[in-house]
Amino acid sequence: MEPDARVIEELVKFSSNMARAPNMVKAPDEIDLEITPHETIYSMDKMRLLHYKDDQKPTHKTPILIAYALINRYHILDIHPSKSWVRNLMTQGYDVYMIDWGTPTDIDKYLNFDDYVNMYLDSCVEHVLNNTSTDNLTLQGYCTGGTIATIYATLHPEKVRNYIATAPVIDGWKDTTVISNLSKHVEVDKLVDTVGNMPPEFMYYCFSVLKPFEQGIEKYINFFKNIDNERFVDNFLRVEKWLSDTPPIPGELFREWIKNIYQKNLLIQNKMVVGDQNIDLRKIRMPIFTQVAVGDHLVSPECSMPLHYAVSSKKKTLRLYPTGHVGMIASRLSQKKVLPELGRWLSKKSD
Amino acid sequence: MIPDIEGSKDYYKHLSLFWTDLLYLMSSKSQALSSVGPMRAMAANSKRMATELIEMNQRIDVFSQYLIEYYKQLTDTWTEAQKKVNLKIQDLPQDPEHFDAYKRVWIDIFDNDFTELFDSKSFGANYGKMVSEELELAKHWNNIASIILKSANLPNREELDEVYKELHELRRRVARLEASRRYDGA
Repeated sequence: MEPDARVIEELVKFSSNMARAPNMVKAPDEIDLEITPHETIYSMDKMRLLHYKDDQKPTHKTPILIAYALINRYHILDIHPSKSWVRNLMTQGYDVYMIDWGTPTDIDKYLNFDDYVNMYLDSCVEHVLNNTSTDNLTLQGYCTGGTIATIYATLHPEKVRNYIATAPVIDGWKDTTVISNLSKHVEVDKLVDTVGNMPPEFMYYCFSVLKPFEQGIEKYINFFKNIDNERFVDNFLRVEKWLSDTPPIPGELFREWIKNIYQKNLLIQNKMVVGDQNIDLRKIRMPIFTQVAVGDHLVSPECSMPLHYAVSSKKKTLRLYPTGHVGMIASRLSQKKVLPELGRWLSKKSD
Repeated sequence: MIPDIEGSKDYYKHLSLFWTDLLYLMSSKSQALSSVGPMRAMAANSKRMATELIEMNQRIDVFSQYLIEYYKQLTDTWTEAQKKVNLKIQDLPQDPEHFDAYKRVWIDIFDNDFTELFDSKSFGANYGKMVSEELELAKHWNNIASIILKSANLPNREELDEVYKELHELRRRVARLEASRRYDGA
């Protein structure tokens, strides 16, 4: 049987695209992920507090402080001018601040939840309040940053006027992702005592088992197929670069994380202790907006949604979006639906 | 006849340690002359290093068992998924227009089956044990590195950890002082 000419044509075209690719697109290293202008207004150890700048003056009085996750870096919230979470909020009249947790080294291996919540996050909140001459702010926590921000909101409710929980990791036992399964079987004490900080390679392994064929094969096939599509290629490389830049996680923080959230599931049971203080989610009384992605394969909706029911807030909103973990914050859907809804909810509570 | 592998291992361990001990006893007197040089320290540590290497070797055996099981699970899942794909694609026309449909079926079935595997208790348990054994290997490697560093009068990991812990405490104290200064000023 002779091979179909069209199949050969497809294969030749694909090979040609692969050969042409290096001359047509930038290498990920050559791409600058800093989109919206910002300045570092405060730093402590390796953590930085960024303030985004624009010609447009904020119209809402209450600033927004975003606590990004501990996995990968904050750039995804400002990955592309047309998909930037930060820029969208600024266009809606909000004054936006972001925490860059930095890249921990061995010297940071003893940093724990207490340090992240009561030292780093609290210092950032204080600086934003000082900078804006306000008494409280809107706090947003994304993914694992949502867990840190949730704990902060229970311990320092007077400083948080509104709380936005975006795909927060809350109920570890209800999490149905592969990460949850692996976490339950890892001897975390031995892991941390032996290697110290959690190496990025270990995190990459955990991510590689999530949709391994779609993420490991298909997306690269699509990349070479679409090599002439400038917009597609630019977006692809930006996200790839962001994905490949994940800092280590401080050892002690990782130990507490796995034990208290995934193995013992203490947070949702109001039994977690951070810096000698019990974390009681019922102490969250400020307005809360919980955003959940139905197709989230990193933090399953069942893991995030219990926050909505555990808090005492009278003004609380839960929104489910038909997208994934990253799609909720950096996609056309986030620009057209997620952010406008959030902006509307927030506008009445920010003046 | 099945060879007594465990017995052979013990004998090998005994033999290595016997000769390491004996050579140390035979040579330590003359080496004591150069007590500040690296050779003396290396000779004194040779038994500890040999023990670490032997135990590491035994651990590799156990680690390999979990690694084999890990790849067996992957291979079995691959085989089963491929069988499902073969059954499913019989319904698809075999022409270039349907190549994308074939690819979609392949990726969906493989992603589903592998996610099911990675989500299973048996995979999680074996993975946990495999990582645990890998950490045991890392521990032995760290111990060997510590012995070498010690013999070269350099700080080992334990000593560095003490410094890191102390620095961590100091950073916390400074942060608390700064915070209280902020509150006092407010």
